[in-house]
Amino acid sequence: MPEAIEIQLKKGALELCVLALLSQHDSYAYEIASRLSGAIGMGEGTIYPLMRRLQSDGLVETYLVESPAGPPRKYYRLSQSGKQTFQGQKDAWSSFSGAVDQIVFGGAK
Amino acid sequence: MTRQAFLARLRDGLRGLPPQAVADILADYEAHFADGEAAGRTEAEVAAALGDPDRLARELRAESTLNRWREERSPSSAAAAVFAVLGLGAIDILVLLPILIGVASALVGIAVAVVVAFFAGAVVFAAGPFMDPPGGPATALLGGIGIMAGSASGGAILTIVSIGLMNALVWYGRLHYRLLKPALEP
Repeated sequence: MPEAIEIQLKKGALELCVLALLSQHDSYAYEIASRLSGAIGMGEGTIYPLMRRLQSDGLVETYLVESPAGPPRKYYRLSQSGKQTFQGQKDAWSSFSGAVDQIVFGGAK
Repeated sequence: MTRQAFLARLRDGLRGLPPQAVADILADYEAHFADGEAAGRTEAEVAAALGDPDRLARELRAESTLNRWREERSPSSAAAAVFAVLGLGAIDILVLLPILIGVASALVGIAVAVVVAFFAGAVVFAAGPFMDPPGGPATALLGGIGIMAGSASGGAILTIVSIGLMNALVWYGRLHYRLLKPALEP
């Protein structure tokens, strides 16, 4: 895939992916980062600025959980407005990607 | 690179940010190393996946300064944002520098002119009626008010233009993130 297109696609999808993971279950940054860096090739360090932005936008909340080894771990969960944002972005994504699929792959059928 | 070295370089690079922000950022990356090791990776592997700590610090610092500009439109936050963008050290930003200096000087010049015009208007308003002006004292009073109002609106337009230019610069600076991309696109 040409690099420019790939970056554009990732940009749009990253926040949606984080919200989606958190809508399945609460999680901590390392877990989110390792899921996403494996799946969509995101740099691991990028997760922290992103989480901070989501937090300051009020989409996620944090709480601490004692961890068996080391200091307490910071968990993220979706706030009420985060859940709404996720629903909205999910709908937008599905109608958009459906439309693109139809145009891109439709001719081959 | 070891975890110690990575965190030390990151801390060095973040100097100048509020201590609480630095502590939060370092705690995040420290936890990242701890979790990475728990998952069976070496410190060197985790550090390599995170990228160059100096570059990371520059971008994090730029981001924090640019956010301060977004929250607080003041000359000092504007200056800090300009330096943060220049600090990203991209060649095309440095090429931009002479233009930037020219635009900034022009804005400062216009700002000075606006202030001078305002005070000149005040002088016409206050002293004019006693100087026996053509058209009588009322002309001087109204003329003075007119000059002051004109320079005030000039100042307002100047402020709007400056804020617009700053926002454009911030947008342009963000295009130059390498490590933080694509997490920070608005």
